[in-house]
Amino acid sequence: MYVTIIGCSGVGYHLAKALLAAGHEVLVIEKSHSRCQLLYDELGSVVLCGDGTDQRVLKSAGVGRADILAAVTGVDETNLVACQMAKETFQVPRTMAVITDTKNESVFHFLGVDVVVNTTHLAVTGLEGGVPGRPMIHLLDLKVPDTELVSVSIPEDAAVVGKRLGEIQLPPHSFVSLVVKRNQAELAASNLVLEGLDEVVAVTVADEEQSLYDALTGV
Amino acid sequence: MIFGCGTLTDLLVPYLRQAGHLVTVLADDADALERLRREYQVQGVWITEPLMQDYLQEGEIETAEVFLAISDRDHQNALVAQIAKHIFNVGTVICRLENPQLQQLYTGLGLKVIGTSTSGLYAETRQLIEG
Repeated sequence: MYVTIIGCSGVGYHLAKALLAAGHEVLVIEKSHSRCQLLYDELGSVVLCGDGTDQRVLKSAGVGRADILAAVTGVDETNLVACQMAKETFQVPRTMAVITDTKNESVFHFLGVDVVVNTTHLAVTGLEGGVPGRPMIHLLDLKVPDTELVSVSIPEDAAVVGKRLGEIQLPPHSFVSLVVKRNQAELAASNLVLEGLDEVVAVTVADEEQSLYDALTGV
Repeated sequence: MIFGCGTLTDLLVPYLRQAGHLVTVLADDADALERLRREYQVQGVWITEPLMQDYLQEGEIETAEVFLAISDRDHQNALVAQIAKHIFNVGTVICRLENPQLQQLYTGLGLKVIGTSTSGLYAETRQLIEG
């Protein structure tokens, strides 16, 4: 595969190294001259100095024959412009972008960016999981807008302890899909009884997160 | 609704207000926003974080009939104009782009684009040089 990478700070640098190690052809386009010099010293002639949203630069990088363009600068809108230019002007079949503004994810998908990686979300999820007690963990954003998979740990003194799932009032668009008990995971049948310290895996929407959490953990 | 508060916004706001239109301006320049608020009673939304859709909703974009992305930053204008057009379905969206490559790209992608015509400037400059 020939992969063009726009932007070579943290993410771009490590992506370039990983792809080179896997035997792919890589070209990195980076705006800063001093950064380019450093990269050239370490990675060799896979670095092109220039603006990754400038057609002339993309052309000289041979983006027309790229299989993938990955826009990984720290600026969301620049990544979008690079991806749209690659797709429209150079017919790159697959474009990828990182974003920091969480709400841009659906916009980028809608505008034809094939892979969108939300770095803010990744960092928050990782850090959230490291906090003891772990009240509610975001596991996954589903394909449906604003819909996500979360995990809630049931406190031992919660009102739902000892109740069957079918008896618990949840918000209209939220439902339990799996209950992880001490020894095994169980499908969320309506007669399954919740116990303290169970991990409940549920589907919810952004607006209902808080009320779902309250319903499952309230005392 | 206007994104950006440079010279073009300064020219447009008095005209729009005089014609009786309601105007909301989104910008990161707090002083300029405050001045527009004071002098022309526009609604101002001060942008401090990269959370564009939140600011658009704060300015009640769903009620906007016209959206002008006319800051002096091409990339931001391109993003915010596409959000206004495709996510919030604003009827008329106009996007200012100064880079001729981007003017061409986004015209092709269906945006109404305004911006300085470089070919016009080129012809004019040559004419002046050659007398």
